[in-house]
Amino acid sequence: MSGEDCESFDRGDADGQKPDKMFTLKKWNAVAMWSWDVECDTCAICRVQVMDACLRCQGESKKDSYGKQDCVVVWGECNHSFHFCCMSLWVKQNNRCPLCQQEWSIQRMGK
Amino acid sequence: MSGVSKTSVLVEEGGNQFRKRSHLSSNNDQCSKRTKFDDMSANEKKSNFSMLNPNSNGTIKMTSSSMNKPGAATKKLVIKNFKSKPNLPENYQETTWSKLREAVIAIQTSKAIAYSLEELYQAVENMCSHKMASQLYVNLTNLVEAHVKSNIEQFLSESMDRQVFLKRMDDCWRAHCRQMIMIRSIFLYLDRTYVLQNPSIHSIWDMGLDLFRHHIAMNTLIQTRTVDGLLLLIERERGGDAVDISLLKSLLRMLSDLQIYQDAFEHKFLQATERLYAAEGQRLMRELAVPQYLAHVEKRLREENERLLHYLDPCTKWQLIHTIERQLLSEHLTGILSKGLESLMDGPRLHDLTTLYNLFSRVKELGLNELCNHFNAYIKKKGRTIVIEPERDKTMVAELLEFKEQLDNVVSTCFQRNDRFLYSMREAFEYFINQRQNKPAELIAKFVDLKLRAGNKEATEEELERLLDKIMVLFRFIHGKDVFEAFYKKDLAKRLLVGKSASVDAEKSMLSKLKQECGGGFTCKLEGMFKDMELSKDINITYKQHLAASQEGVGLELSVYILTMGFWPTYPPVEVRLPAELTRHQDHFAKFYLAKHSGRKLQWQATLGHCVLRAHFSQGNKELQVSLFQALVLLLFNDGDNLSFEEIKTATNIEEGELRRTLQSLACGKARVLLKAPRGRDVQDDDHFSFHADFTNKLFRIKINQIQMKETSEEQKATEERVFQDRQYQIDAAIVRVMKMRKALSHNLLISELYNQLKFPVKPADLKKRIESLIDRDYMERDKDNPNQYNYVA
Repeated sequence: MSGEDCESFDRGDADGQKPDKMFTLKKWNAVAMWSWDVECDTCAICRVQVMDACLRCQGESKKDSYGKQDCVVVWGECNHSFHFCCMSLWVKQNNRCPLCQQEWSIQRMGK
Repeated sequence: MSGVSKTSVLVEEGGNQFRKRSHLSSNNDQCSKRTKFDDMSANEKKSNFSMLNPNSNGTIKMTSSSMNKPGAATKKLVIKNFKSKPNLPENYQETTWSKLREAVIAIQTSKAIAYSLEELYQAVENMCSHKMASQLYVNLTNLVEAHVKSNIEQFLSESMDRQVFLKRMDDCWRAHCRQMIMIRSIFLYLDRTYVLQNPSIHSIWDMGLDLFRHHIAMNTLIQTRTVDGLLLLIERERGGDAVDISLLKSLLRMLSDLQIYQDAFEHKFLQATERLYAAEGQRLMRELAVPQYLAHVEKRLREENERLLHYLDPCTKWQLIHTIERQLLSEHLTGILSKGLESLMDGPRLHDLTTLYNLFSRVKELGLNELCNHFNAYIKKKGRTIVIEPERDKTMVAELLEFKEQLDNVVSTCFQRNDRFLYSMREAFEYFINQRQNKPAELIAKFVDLKLRAGNKEATEEELERLLDKIMVLFRFIHGKDVFEAFYKKDLAKRLLVGKSASVDAEKSMLSKLKQECGGGFTCKLEGMFKDMELSKDINITYKQHLAASQEGVGLELSVYILTMGFWPTYPPVEVRLPAELTRHQDHFAKFYLAKHSGRKLQWQATLGHCVLRAHFSQGNKELQVSLFQALVLLLFNDGDNLSFEEIKTATNIEEGELRRTLQSLACGKARVLLKAPRGRDVQDDDHFSFHADFTNKLFRIKINQIQMKETSEEQKATEERVFQDRQYQIDAAIVRVMKMRKALSHNLLISELYNQLKFPVKPADLKKRIESLIDRDYMERDKDNPNQYNYVA
């Protein structure tokens, strides 16, 4: 956020042509929150919020203190979303979406 | 001469043999002559000499004729006994005894002895040798007894000054000892032979002691007088008078030697001691302040130890010291502590506390127990006053740190780092710090924030590190750690987003401390926040490269912090109207980001944005560091001057209260880049604002602070609210856990189990609400027959 180095440069053009604008935006530090673009906040399989790691990963992360970056979200063609970890275990038993019973196929993965 | 056996030897021999023996016999003759002489001169003195020399067993008589005339008919050598035994003089025993008696009496009356000591010694030896030992012993005993008896009189007179009495007693005893030593020396032979062979008989010395004891010391009157006199003397010495210590010592030695120290003296002495110190303890506890009292007790103990060293018998030590400890300390433990501990601790008067600890540790378990209990109570009381009053909130953490340090110091320097005290201190801290819910946790978090914030130059890295360690100690005591986490997180977010963190190292070190204390689960979100910051940095670099490649967005430098929802505190979403240019940049970045990360969505946090504006005033250009809201307001003045509050509000769509504060900061703060009409501190609905073209400031780069006063209390409430929200989940989880295990449980049992499990304070009413909620959601149900019974629903 600092930028002492531009001081002298800015002073240089102060007496140039009269500016038509009184304020010009030079720098903007914006802040944004990201979250998964999902319809339902909780993973229907593990009942944990999709923004948090799934239960399995939470348990493991306690051991190696790894962030939850790995525990991503997956969307099916039906647009239902789950933790990828949860879903990959689920489809081994039943290759259908747990919510709508449609054939499960991955539409996209969170990244 | 009892051992001398006289035998006669008759020798008859042949000539040959005789001739052979002639030389020998002449030798024998000489020999016999000497023996005869010896026998005669030493028949009293060296009665046993003959036993040593077998040749003198008999006298060998030889007729001179037989020597001179070898051919004579009689060749007989005859050895005969003395004609009569060497007899002692008729009245030997009487005379010798009278001699000895005279000597003994002379000794007893301190007169010169008429005979040489050697002579007397031999007399004794001789009498012993002549089987007169027992009679001699009896005579001696009688003599000594008579003398001892004669001494009694002087002690029996009606009235006598105690001092004089003791003196006389001492003289008498010393004289007795002196005399007995002398007598024993003379009668040493008796002691060594007769007495040794008869185990039932006292040695002469013991006999003397026995007689002295029997006749003088055991005399009730004398004994009482002596002991009373001694006690009086000791009492006077305790009172501070100088007394004749050697007299005391001598008389007490006498009692010890006579083996009546314990029976006659010790018991009474201890009683007197007990009486004295009981009274003194009572009196001084009233009169003296505690430090003086303790010093006095210490002095008393020292004095009594010296007394033991100087004149008391060592066997009294344990009981004496114990008595003093009991009367001066044990009896007053609670009194001393409740009267003085607080002021000592408040000081803290380390020296007096050390004395206190040392004295109390003498009183075995009880003393330190009491001390520890009062110590504990003191901490709880003092700590509570620090924690409980809202007026002291500002200084609470600093005071707690100071208090803790002071106590640590006391425990380590005065209480010898006693584990029990350390433990008790911890327990007390934990107790009082949780007397007030949530607030201490919040204040500790804020205190840490203050220390970790940039611009805090009061401490070096090491000092900061130490301070953080100390804070962690306080943190450990706090039950509601979630409250701490919430506030800490909120402040950490601020530090990170505004770039105000003093040092990354310090932040990381604090984080690792928290992790160590509470585990990875506690800090994983905080760690995630740091990670977000790093990832954002990378993203901004790649975005810049992306812009450079596509040659877009020139003029505005945009950097974005991308935060992971869930790691960070939640901020209320605010919709504001951005100028078209900003929207374009924002959308551009979003497109870039979402292309990289599919499946995500971005929510812009207008409240957290910051800008640098270049402003053109008539006096020169300036750079303004402002929040996004401030920037939005200022940018409006590019297109028109003199805007009303309402106009600004519609143009920016900033929430009214927020806008009011924003305008206040721009037009009423330190750097007034806008002019407000009419003037005034507060922003009213019909106020108008215009560009302050003549704005001057000696700085080029100006930071315009946002006004946040009201916000903090709201924020605080919001944070607390969030904590309570989180707690609800924890309560739910605990209820389900318990029910799953027990299947069926009565209401009361469930509640008590929950209190055991939950680490933060909860009201029963809240628990009830959560139970109801879980019943609604079909996690559990009320028993059909018993409304107080719950069943788990699988």
